Amino acid sequence: MGGECGVLVFAEQEDGRIHNVVYELLGKGRDLANKLGKSLCAVLLGHNLDEEAKELIYYGADIVYLFDHPSLKEFDVIKYKHNIVKLVNSVKPDIILVGATRIGRSLAPRVAAALRTGLTADCVDLDLDEEGNLIQIRPAFSGNIMAQIKTRTKPQMATVRYKMMRPLARDPSRKGEIVKVDAEIPEDTGIEILGKVDAGGINISEAEIIVAAGRGLKRPEDLRLLEELASLLGGVVGSSRPLVDAGWISREHQVGFSGNTVKPKVYFAFGISGSPQHLFGMRDSDIIIAVNKDPSAPIIGVSDYYVIGDLYEIIPTLIHDLKKVRSALTHDEE
Amino acid sequence: MNIIVLIKQVPEIEKVRFDYEKGRLDRSSAGAVTNPFDLNALEAAVQIRERVGGVVTAISMGPMQAIESLRDALARGADRAILLSDERFAGADTLATAYTLAAAIKRLGKFDLVICGEKTVDGDTAQVGPEVAEFLGIPHAAYVEEILDVEKGWIIVRARMERSYYLMRLRLPALITVTKDINNPRLPSLKDKLRAMRMPIPVWNYTDLSEIADPKYFGLNGSPTRVIKVYTPISEKRKGQMISGSPKEVSQRILQILRENKILA
Amino acid sequence: MMKNSGIPSSLIVENLKGVVGDKWVITEREFMENYLKDETPDPIRPKPAEDLILVKPSSTEEVSRILKIANENRIPVFPVGGRTGLVGGAVPTEPGIILSLERMSRIEVDEENLMAVAEAGATLGDLIKAAESAGLFFPPHPGDEGAQIGGLIATNAGGARAIKYGVMRNYVRGLEIVLPTGEILSLGGKLLKNNTGYDLMQLIIGSEGTLCVITKAVIRLFPKSKYMVTLIVPFNERSDALRTVPQILRSGIIPLAIEYVQLREILEAAGHINENWPVQKGLAQLIIILEGSSQEEILSACEGISKVCEANNAIDILLAETPEEQNRILKIRSNIYTALKPRMMDILDVTVPPSSLEKLMEQVDMIASKYGIYLPTYGHAGDGNLHVHIMRKDVESIDMAKKIKEEIYGAALKLGGVITGEHGIGKLRTENISLVLSEKHIDIMRSIKRIFDPNNILNPNKVLP
Repeated sequence: MGGECGVLVFAEQEDGRIHNVVYELLGKGRDLANKLGKSLCAVLLGHNLDEEAKELIYYGADIVYLFDHPSLKEFDVIKYKHNIVKLVNSVKPDIILVGATRIGRSLAPRVAAALRTGLTADCVDLDLDEEGNLIQIRPAFSGNIMAQIKTRTKPQMATVRYKMMRPLARDPSRKGEIVKVDAEIPEDTGIEILGKVDAGGINISEAEIIVAAGRGLKRPEDLRLLEELASLLGGVVGSSRPLVDAGWISREHQVGFSGNTVKPKVYFAFGISGSPQHLFGMRDSDIIIAVNKDPSAPIIGVSDYYVIGDLYEIIPTLIHDLKKVRSALTHDEE
Repeated sequence: MNIIVLIKQVPEIEKVRFDYEKGRLDRSSAGAVTNPFDLNALEAAVQIRERVGGVVTAISMGPMQAIESLRDALARGADRAILLSDERFAGADTLATAYTLAAAIKRLGKFDLVICGEKTVDGDTAQVGPEVAEFLGIPHAAYVEEILDVEKGWIIVRARMERSYYLMRLRLPALITVTKDINNPRLPSLKDKLRAMRMPIPVWNYTDLSEIADPKYFGLNGSPTRVIKVYTPISEKRKGQMISGSPKEVSQRILQILRENKILA
Repeated sequence: MMKNSGIPSSLIVENLKGVVGDKWVITEREFMENYLKDETPDPIRPKPAEDLILVKPSSTEEVSRILKIANENRIPVFPVGGRTGLVGGAVPTEPGIILSLERMSRIEVDEENLMAVAEAGATLGDLIKAAESAGLFFPPHPGDEGAQIGGLIATNAGGARAIKYGVMRNYVRGLEIVLPTGEILSLGGKLLKNNTGYDLMQLIIGSEGTLCVITKAVIRLFPKSKYMVTLIVPFNERSDALRTVPQILRSGIIPLAIEYVQLREILEAAGHINENWPVQKGLAQLIIILEGSSQEEILSACEGISKVCEANNAIDILLAETPEEQNRILKIRSNIYTALKPRMMDILDVTVPPSSLEKLMEQVDMIASKYGIYLPTYGHAGDGNLHVHIMRKDVESIDMAKKIKEEIYGAALKLGGVITGEHGIGKLRTENISLVLSEKHIDIMRSIKRIFDPNNILNPNKVLP
C-alpha cells in the first residue's frame, strides 16, 4: 500500500496517551483504504510522541504524519486545526475520520468549515458505495432511526462514536512510514490554556462488568444494592436515563444514546425495559443478562439470558451467594 | 458587552414517536420547544450582562413559527431578537446553518461574545458552534461548564474535555458552547413574558444576508451532506435463554454463567 | 402458620400453587420484604405478621379461586397495590395471604368513548402513558406513579390536580370486583350516566380493600389540553398567599392545581433530588397549574391571576412554559414527602372547607408553638387539604405525637373539616374515626362489611375501629 492518501485518521492524544477510539478508527480506516486501493494515514500532534506514532503503525496506519512541537502538547483547537488543514491541503485525503470525543467534536467542525466541506457527526458505521464515496451511518432521534449520509464535497469528513468499530490486532511487525512535519504555530491563537485538572469520576465505557438499573428501581437509596453487587463482581454501576434525569445517579453512569456506549463482557439490566435509546448504548455487550418483571420488555429480546422476576428478589440473593463464594475463596487461601 | 446567543427551536424530543411499521417519525404529538441547551446559553449571557452591562441578542434560523422561541428568549432576558427565515435557508446542514448564522452575526456588526448550547437535541451534532467560530475567524471553547471571569477583551472559562477540565483564557471576540452544568436557567416572570409577546422581532431573509455573504452557501444548495436513506436499526436478536425458578435457583444459574465465561473463579 | 385455621399450611400452599402455578406463590420471608410495608413513616407503621404467603395471580378467575380457598379456610387476605399508602392500609397485620395483582397490568384505551379499561395491577404511570400515546389525558395526578389502579380506587386517591377535575372517584365508571366469597361482580361500565339501583361501585371506591378485591376498572379520560403552564408565586406572608387562593377561584379561573408550599420544605425537597428550585424568594409560595386550548387563552387567564396575586402582595409571578421546566417543578413538589420521610413521625392530611384553610394553619401554628416545635406544612390549597408533618426529633414519644395529632384533628373538626381528605383510615386512623363519624354511621359500616365479607377475611381490622 502507499501512494495517495485515501483515509486520514486524527490520532487524538491527551497527556501523550492515544485515545482508544483512534485504534478503532484505524481498524475501519484500514478496510476503507484497502477498498479504495489507497493508503491509510494518521495525523498525530503533540510532543515527544515517537513511540505512540509507532503504535499507530502497529494498529494499521501506512503513514503517520507527526507534528512534534512543545506548544502542541495540549489541545489548542486553533493550532491543531491550522496544521491539519495545511496537511489536508497537501495530501488531499478522500476521507477524514475523527473520534466523536469532546476534543474531536470541538476540532472536526472547525476543520470542516475551514475546508468548506461536509461533516457527519457521531457515525456508528461507515461504508463505501460503488464509486468509492463514503456512506456515513449515524443514529437520529435518540437512536430510534438510522440515517445514511453522503458528502458531495471532498474530503468527506466524519466523527465516529467510540466503541463502535473493531481495532485490528496490534502487530509490531507491521511496517509503515513516520513523516515528521514541521509544525506551524500561529503566534496568537486567542486561546491560552491556563491549567488542566483531572476530572476524575468513573469511566463506564471501559468497564468489563456493568450492573445497570432502570425504572424498576423504586427508590434512590436502593442503588446501594446495585453498588454492592457491582463491587462484588468488580464492576461499575450503570443506569438508564430516567434515573439520571431523576437525579438519583450522576450522568457519567448513564448508558445509552445520550450517555455512554458500552461494550462490557457482562451487562446486567435490572428493571430496564430497553428503550431504543438505551439499547443503542449497550447492545454490543458480550453477554446481556436482563431481569425484568415484564416479559414483553424489549430488553428481553436483545438479551442472552433473561429472568422474568423482581430485581428486589434476585439482587439480594445474588449478593448473598457471591459473598458466600468470596468467603469460600478467601478461606481456601488461608 | 455585546453578546449573541444562538437559539434553535426543536421538536419536543421525548414525544417524537417512531412508527416502526410505516418506518417514519411521527411528530404529531410533539410540540415545539426551545432547544434546552440554548436556555443555558441564554442564561449565561444574561448573567454576564447583569455583571458587566451590555446587550444580549438572540438569533435563530428557522421557519416563521421559530419566533416563539425568540419570544421565550426575550421573556428570559434577551434584549432583542432576530429571526433568519427564508425558504432558501431551508434544508441546511450544519455547514450551511453555521455559514448563514455567521453571516447574520457579521451583519449585526460589532460583537464580543457568541454563546451556543453544547448541541441541539434533534440534530445532536454539536457542530454548528465551532463551525460558526471558524466562519467568524474567532477562537472558541466547547463544553464550557463555568465562566470564571469576563472583562473587556477576554473571558476565562472552565471546559470539560475527555478526562480533564481545561482552564482557558479566550481573547474576545470569541465563541463558547455551554453544557447543562453551567447554570440553572431562570424562569421568566409573567410580566416579562407578556412584554415579550408585544416586542417586535425583525425577520432577515435571503436578500438581507446576500449583501454580506455568498448565497450559494445558504440552505440545501449550500449543504455538502445529503441524507440518502433513513431506516430502522435492525436490532440483532440474541438467543434469549430464560432462567426460571426460585431466586435461589436463578442466582445459582447466573453464577454458573459467570463461571463459564471466566468472570468468576 | 395459620394457627386459627387448623389446616396444615403446606396444604394451603399447595392449593394456592395449584391455582397460580408454583412460581407465583412465595413463602420465603426474604423475598417478600417489599410486600410487608407501605410508605407510612417507620416509627408508626404497623408491624407485619410473621406467617405470610405472597400470591401473585394473573387473572380475575385466579383471584376468585384464591379467595374461595381463603374463605373456606378462614384465612385473612391482604390485597396490595403499589404500597404507596401512608396509613398502613396495605400492611399484612395478621397471618394470612398477601394478594398482589401486579401481573394483571393490561390497559386498553377506548378512544371513541374516551375511556381506559385497566387491570388493577397497572400503575398510575402506565395509565398516564397509555392515555398519552392515544392522544388523551388522565387529568388528576393522585400521587406516586408507582401506585396501582386497584389501590388508587380502593383509597379514592386525590392528589394535586383535584380542584378542576376532582379525585379518583370522579373517574371510575365501572369496576370488576371479586367478593371475599369468590363471586365475581361487574359494576357500572363504559357509561357516563347510570341510575340502576344502589350504586355499589361508589361504595367500593374508597373502601380500602375491606369489602372486595378490585380486579379491573373503566376509567374516564379527557382530550389532551393543548397548552399548559405552571406559575410560581412567592409571598412574604403566608396569610397573603392563602388569602389569594379563594380569590383566584372566585375570579372565574379554575386552575388544574393550586399548591401551597413553604420555601424551607421545597428547598429541602429540591436538594433531596439534586435539583434547583427556581424561586429563592418568598417564604410562602403558591404553585398554580393552568391548562387550556391556546396560549392566548392561558396568558389572559394568567393576567387575571396576576391581578389577584398583586393585590395580595405577591413578590413576583414566574412562569414555566416548557414541559421540562413544568415537570421539574412538579417533581420537586412531589418529593417534599420523600425528603422529609426519613425524619418523620407522621403525616396528616386534614381537610377543611377551602376558605377555612388560613384559620386551620393559624391553629396549627398555635399547636406548634405550644409544644415548641416546627411542623413542616404544605397542602393542596385549592382543596382545603393540608399536609402537616410531625417530625421525630420534636417528639419524645409516639404518645406525644398522638397528642399533637389529636389537637390538629380537633382544630380541623371545629372548622367543619375531617381528619383525612386523601390518605384514608387504613390501620393507623381507626382509633380516630369516631372523632368524625357517629356511632350509628359506624354501625352501618360494620353491617355492610358483614354482608360483603361474612367471615371477616378481607383486610381485617382496617378502616373499622
